[in-house]
Amino acid sequence: MTSLSCPRCGTALAENQAQGLCPRCLLEAAGGPQSQADLPASADAPQGSRRPSAPTIEQLAVFFPSLQLESLIAVGGMGAVYRATQTSLGRTVALKILHGEIASEPGFAERFQREARTLATLSHPGIVTVHDFGSTGPHFYFVMEFVDGVNLRQMIRAKSVPSAAALELVMQICDALQYAHDRGVVHRDIKPENILVERSGRVKILDFGLSKVVGAQPKSPLLTRTHQVMGTPHYMAPEQWEKPLEVDHRADIYALGVVFYELLTGELPLGRFAPPSRKVLIDVRLDEVVLRTLDKEPRLRYQQASELRSEVEHISSSAVAEAPPAQPPPIPSIQPAPPLPPEREVPPPTPGQRRAARLLQRARERQAASRESRIGAAVRKTETAVGTLGGPERLPGPMIGLIVYFGMCMALIVVVLLFYSF
Amino acid sequence: MRRSFARSTPGRARCLGHSRRFSPTLRPCKSNGCREFRTGSYHGGVETGSGADQFLTTRWSIVRAAGGQDKTLARAALASLCQSYWYPLYAFVRRKGVAAQDAEDVVQGFFAQVLANDNFLRVAPEKGRFRSYLLVCAQNHLANLRDGEKAQKRGEGRAALDIDFSSADTRFGLEATVEDPNRAFERAWALALLERALVGLEQEYRASDRGALFDVLKPELTGGTGAGYASYAARLDSNEAAIKVAVHRLRKRYRERLRAEIAQTVADESEIEAEIRDLFAALGP
Repeated sequence: MTSLSCPRCGTALAENQAQGLCPRCLLEAAGGPQSQADLPASADAPQGSRRPSAPTIEQLAVFFPSLQLESLIAVGGMGAVYRATQTSLGRTVALKILHGEIASEPGFAERFQREARTLATLSHPGIVTVHDFGSTGPHFYFVMEFVDGVNLRQMIRAKSVPSAAALELVMQICDALQYAHDRGVVHRDIKPENILVERSGRVKILDFGLSKVVGAQPKSPLLTRTHQVMGTPHYMAPEQWEKPLEVDHRADIYALGVVFYELLTGELPLGRFAPPSRKVLIDVRLDEVVLRTLDKEPRLRYQQASELRSEVEHISSSAVAEAPPAQPPPIPSIQPAPPLPPEREVPPPTPGQRRAARLLQRARERQAASRESRIGAAVRKTETAVGTLGGPERLPGPMIGLIVYFGMCMALIVVVLLFYSF
Repeated sequence: MRRSFARSTPGRARCLGHSRRFSPTLRPCKSNGCREFRTGSYHGGVETGSGADQFLTTRWSIVRAAGGQDKTLARAALASLCQSYWYPLYAFVRRKGVAAQDAEDVVQGFFAQVLANDNFLRVAPEKGRFRSYLLVCAQNHLANLRDGEKAQKRGEGRAALDIDFSSADTRFGLEATVEDPNRAFERAWALALLERALVGLEQEYRASDRGALFDVLKPELTGGTGAGYASYAARLDSNEAAIKVAVHRLRKRYRERLRAEIAQTVADESEIEAEIRDLFAALGP
């Protein structure tokens, strides 16, 4: 035992305790309300009291001469996102500016360069493409694909996701996750806010790997008024909290499980939660799928996103097969002809092969259209609910009922008056 | 009574570790003594907000809420808590005069008993914290041992928890001597709690390639060494303003992690402050 003592409180210190720090001072630092004097002026404040401010379009324009900045779309924990047009290409893009206090952290520039280069190589229809990244003036930025649609949080709040659409969404997310995982990129912050859905029904995952760049840790939006306790990060896998150094791609699968549960039931799987089939009318086989993705042991979850996709697809397609047939006759399976050596002449397809190929193509288009129409309908319903879509003003349901009731009463009175007048 | 999964679906239900049918309700797989529970998860933090349901994601609250139904998740939560805080129990047992070789048997035997029985279902409301509960159980267990019950010997049966005792004796020897066993337990508990918070914070920073930042700024968690932000800025090739923000974020994150660790062991978030005060007193002279 050493003879060192804490200069603040005089407590004896030991090298093997509390990493050499004073345990009493450590406990004191965690107790009571956080001192406001501890907060530098530009630091992120307790959530709900102040958010980092976003630069104005006029302030940014000078740093991005090749972009025509149009509007501020959103301000989040990592940065601000603007809608812009690339003047040379006439292409609409999203410009993400990272918050100043994040970018000013020691070592950030090196991390940014290292990680952003990897992120920019991700090219998949289910991942928001990064066109460009870098730093200009005091700003670190990403120029990304602009996605015209809504995010899953908005869809969940609007209760516009039927079960069939939820399965399709999850399968698309699995495809994108598997692509990124195959390239060694883990998202680490999968949540409904980071999953966008276009009107066509196409899913786009946002901010892949960005949380590692900015060193951000998922936080719960729930905070008490008096204590800034770490709320449960709902989508964070247990190992992200308990063993951060052992986190791998299976943390994304866990987070997708939480999203999956929320899409099906509208609720988060907290504490002792009920299997989804007890909350909504869905195939009970989905219970095991969802519960397995939510296993706190990474080794017991699905080890690959593609495994999860296969299970969901199997359940989804077998549920369709059990339904009364309302579809065209089954398409005969055709084996694609093996590739011929270039020096051999390719024989022309027979009429039977041409017909089978046309039928298969139409079946795929119908399936894609069906999937897109389900999700697209959900997106349109969400946009109407959040007011994104400009449509005719609609009266709320009870108001319509009242108007109809009074209209009928007035009509009855007129009829009675006419009867007595004759 | 819920229908059997096997009857209600054409699919094949199986334990995640073994190919054996079992009900999809939250029950343990009994294949070959498999101890896996097909359950949901509980997170590493406090679920704040309105309503007691929001708090049911912490381990101790899950244990307390088990009642007469679905003890599987509660047992898993209890096992996880015991795994995290075995050392304070070891320190308590040693202070009671048990020798090092026997203390390991006593600790494993104690946990085996705690996890096998459902005594946690009968925890009185006033014993709201896991620390208090564990201490009372430990006192009773040692009293029973004195009254003639044999401690489980090493190698007998299966160890309740996976505990590495190799450094326990050395660690015990290096700690300040606290004669009162209860006080020794509480002091060791406070230190274990701080260790968990600090190690978690360090791993978090290292996992996001900010290990150097943590190493340099760590002293600021307790007010610093007086070196000043200019010194940190020079070491980290940064400026004082950025260092100030980084220190703030480190302190904030540490506070969040420590409070979340405490929250795991209390039944209500209102007890967190009281627990901090009690542990602070336990670390006093």
